[in-house]
Amino acid sequence: MTGIMRLGGRLRRAVALSVAVGLGTTLAFADQTQIFDPKTHKWVNYDRKKARQYYAAHGQVPDAFRRQVVDFRTAEKPGTIIIDGNQHFLYLVLPGLKAVRYGIGVGRDGFGWAGIVRVGRMAEWPTWTPPAEMVARDPNAVKFAGGMPGGPDNPLGARALYLYQGDQDTIYRIHGTPEPWTIGLDVSSGCIRMNNDDIVDLYSQVQVGAKVVVLMQGAALYKGV
Amino acid sequence: MRAAFLAGTGLLIGLAAAGCSSTAPEPQNMARTTVQTAPADLQLTCATATATQAGVDANKVLPVGSSTLDATRYQVDLNASGQRYTCIVDNTGNVTSVQKAA
Repeated sequence: MTGIMRLGGRLRRAVALSVAVGLGTTLAFADQTQIFDPKTHKWVNYDRKKARQYYAAHGQVPDAFRRQVVDFRTAEKPGTIIIDGNQHFLYLVLPGLKAVRYGIGVGRDGFGWAGIVRVGRMAEWPTWTPPAEMVARDPNAVKFAGGMPGGPDNPLGARALYLYQGDQDTIYRIHGTPEPWTIGLDVSSGCIRMNNDDIVDLYSQVQVGAKVVVLMQGAALYKGV
Repeated sequence: MRAAFLAGTGLLIGLAAAGCSSTAPEPQNMARTTVQTAPADLQLTCATATATQAGVDANKVLPVGSSTLDATRYQVDLNASGQRYTCIVDNTGNVTSVQKAA
């Protein structure tokens, strides 16, 4: 939900296109989340409408997107964050070839990115400042042009991890959300969103400087490589 | 005769139900995306192997794509400091090939 919108959308897509083509990767992926319906034994598309209905009926996201400890074979150090943008999971590496897996929401089509970055700073109940162009097009954002104080309605939710490339803010964050039903979907402007309980849990186990690897097949942008 | 028919029918229904339930994933796996990628840990395993082979900093090797080769193997495409590599890894984490892409 954050400041990636500072570049004009058209310009940004052009830059992303040139970067992605330069890396020789495929740009467009028809990436659709699906969930298994135990009643019909069929995989069904899980879009924004379906997700909202599911959350209203169950009061939580599907099992697969709930926090759980899983096997995770990696040489990365405990405390490292691995984001699988395609599958909508964030892993926090634990000792003993394990990881905590959380469900996440990621960038919508054209806003997905990949790279190797780090946690540059962290904040509790962070202030959200809408980008200038959002303020220009959305009258509701005008009153927050100077910053929306942290709180339950703040788009950044309960906590935020600010992702840096070297000493430079990438403008991307891992943050909470007041819209927990969006976990599992491609909905953001490039930020990684988690439900508030999960971002609080992650925040309590991560330190500034932690390595963050973002995997995203078909990414529109690359950072740190 | 009727009892035998009912028993047979019941057996068939039972087998059908068992067949259906055996195809259902575990609850934690009841989500997927239509783009099938290698599991994240296997992509990272390939990144580590590629860093070693390419002689570059592991922090400069990023998996940028992956696909299923067969029931047990994945291909992972990587960017290693600007050079493209292809890695083959199986579902137990054994890397069987790392090659610089043409």
